[in-house]
Amino acid sequence: MSTNIYAALEIGTTRTVLAVGEGEVGGRLKVIGHTEIPSTNVRKSQILNIADATQSVKSVIQSAEEKLKGNAYSLNLCTAYLVVSGNHIDTIPFSGSTAIGGSKVSDEEINAVINASRNYPIPESRELLDVIDQDYVIDNLTGISAPKGMSGRILKLNTLHIIADKNRIEDAKTAAENARIEIEEPLLAVTSAAEVVLEEHEKKNGVLVLDLGGGSTGYSVYSDGYLVSAGVIGVGGDHITNDIAHAFQTTNAQAEALKVKEASASLSSLNDMSARVKIPSSNPLMDNRTISRRALNTVVNARVKELFKVIRDTLEERDLLVRMHSGIVLTGGGAKLNDLDEVAQQILGLNVRIGRPIHVDGLENEPESYAYAAVAGALLYAHRNADDSNFFSSFFGRIFK
Amino acid sequence: MNTTSAILLIGVGTSGCEITRGVSRAFGENLRYILADTDARTGQAGGPFVLLGGNRLSGNGAGGDIVQARMATEESVGILDAHLEGVRLAVIATCLGGGTGGGATLEIVKRLQTRGIPSIVFATTPFVHEGETVQRAARGIMSMIEQEANSIFFLPLDKLVLPDDNMKVGMNNVVSTMASAITLFWRLVEKPGFIRLDIERLRHIVTGAGRGRFAVVTTRGEDRAQEAIDRLKRSELLSTASGAVRTIVCGVLAGDDLKLSELGIISEGVQTAFSRNAAFHLSTVNDEETFHDKLSVVTLMFESNENETKSKGEGGLTRNVKKVRNPLTIGPMNRGRFNNVESTIWHGQNLDEPTFIRENISLEF
Repeated sequence: MSTNIYAALEIGTTRTVLAVGEGEVGGRLKVIGHTEIPSTNVRKSQILNIADATQSVKSVIQSAEEKLKGNAYSLNLCTAYLVVSGNHIDTIPFSGSTAIGGSKVSDEEINAVINASRNYPIPESRELLDVIDQDYVIDNLTGISAPKGMSGRILKLNTLHIIADKNRIEDAKTAAENARIEIEEPLLAVTSAAEVVLEEHEKKNGVLVLDLGGGSTGYSVYSDGYLVSAGVIGVGGDHITNDIAHAFQTTNAQAEALKVKEASASLSSLNDMSARVKIPSSNPLMDNRTISRRALNTVVNARVKELFKVIRDTLEERDLLVRMHSGIVLTGGGAKLNDLDEVAQQILGLNVRIGRPIHVDGLENEPESYAYAAVAGALLYAHRNADDSNFFSSFFGRIFK
Repeated sequence: MNTTSAILLIGVGTSGCEITRGVSRAFGENLRYILADTDARTGQAGGPFVLLGGNRLSGNGAGGDIVQARMATEESVGILDAHLEGVRLAVIATCLGGGTGGGATLEIVKRLQTRGIPSIVFATTPFVHEGETVQRAARGIMSMIEQEANSIFFLPLDKLVLPDDNMKVGMNNVVSTMASAITLFWRLVEKPGFIRLDIERLRHIVTGAGRGRFAVVTTRGEDRAQEAIDRLKRSELLSTASGAVRTIVCGVLAGDDLKLSELGIISEGVQTAFSRNAAFHLSTVNDEETFHDKLSVVTLMFESNENETKSKGEGGLTRNVKKVRNPLTIGPMNRGRFNNVESTIWHGQNLDEPTFIRENISLEF
């Protein structure tokens, strides 16, 4: 049995991540390495300086290659899947239909309706990331997964087109290509993450996945086993950091440290109302201030509650919230914020769990594996779409183990 | 419809289109206008109609969502270009509070900027009893439109409709007030009287004018000029803003019986009442058919701001850039590290600005 190796790259707002996976065709995928470095000049998932992004990609590749060398892999990375996010990404429901004239649905008609469903006119400024097939409809009968052999007059296929700003995707590709990495395919972070953290029964019962990134928050909604809706809201962990920095007149680094080490998304967890928190500083002589923990949590709580309300309103407008019988799954680096799940449950009124990658091996000992769900999902996507011909594939120039 | 006029009226959103139709009825065939909405039903009532965001919204409207309206308009705003041939000045009629009125107006104004066409926006703001959510959404988009448009007039519906007006009277009042101000631009150009204000001068005046306020009064009788001044002084609409007046455009519309002495009373009265330091532009319209035995005074006032500077916008137009905004809005200074990227707007609020500030949450340090 041949072994394939895949790479997934994400140039995120706060960090640039590279993950490498290995798997036999038909077997489980194993993440054999993952590494990350802080991103520079990326805001709300948009690259503001190609040279800085290129340098981040180069650094993360070098770091990954060195790490894997220590594990007896000698790799020379050439291509990778690109994980993307940002509020320039949108989903468009679109249907294709064809007449079947009262006879039984054949392969020819299924192909015709699939082709028709791909005819959505993408604006020039946008790039199609993916087309998700949802359900077939024959006349008024919805929710059909395999229409072949069924009778009716009109066959329809509902799809979801995921589109993104062409320039934003191109910027990320350029940064990767400048670092000598060819991009195999751009993939939406939140749907990639969902593929690796969700159980099949959750997709059938209805589930909401939230990928909490630095610059944006992706959401994907599954019901009856398929993706019903997805999107990205341009608010992420960076906004919490910015709010803290603004409220307490700190640097972004200090605000980030306060968020990660001290803050809670919830106000109910605060026992001592007068508790104080020291502002972290590399030079205590320069900044030895303390701030009220209650004030800190109030700033964070306001932002987090607002984000979940935006998500709630978005889903309610589309009548989706009532279909989420399996609750909410939180992934992404933002999920590490203390008591985030409690506030999500409070605002959205659904059970919440943290989404760790369960359909791949190799991340079991990673305490914050949820932060790597998107890249792990991209690796899984690559693995599922691979076949034997990918052995020693173009992802790598040389693979020695 | 006069398709060769250098001034184009654009009705945006369902209510903006309704007002535009009212203006068209009031002014007749000499008005050049188009109607733009995300809701295809708006086009069914007639008039030149542009469906915004047909691909995205399928003609079903933006559902009160400003962001949807913005995105839908952004994708399709190019279809307006076919209507912009020969246009030197665009006047937009819109109502803030819903989705398309705010979201689409912003994108249309941006498009006009790129085409080098200055824009004057007349926008109603919601009734107070529509609730804080709608008010907040309107305030959020107001500040964004204000940054893009060359001049803008916000008209609080609460000041256009009296508490005891029934629905029909109230809406007629809104349409007629807006129509009086909006049609001034066409009347000044097409039916000039003693004192003429041509399109290029008008264009120059509004290009950097910024936020404005206006009032329209119509009087009859021997003392009609003085009565017009008295009523302008009492006008609620002229007291809506707090800034000092930098520019005044005063249009006097009358029939053949307009006297030079009446113009003197109006010129002196307006400047004395509102500002002697402002640049004052008096102009007249002679339209016996419409204004027989009547005197109508349309007064447009543009504010100055000590913190206001000017910059060159796209298309070589000068527009206002404000370092400090009014207290109702939170300026870019609060966006911190998000200054360089496109704002995240939700129901008219800029989510890049700290939540605790927008929600007025006090912090106990």
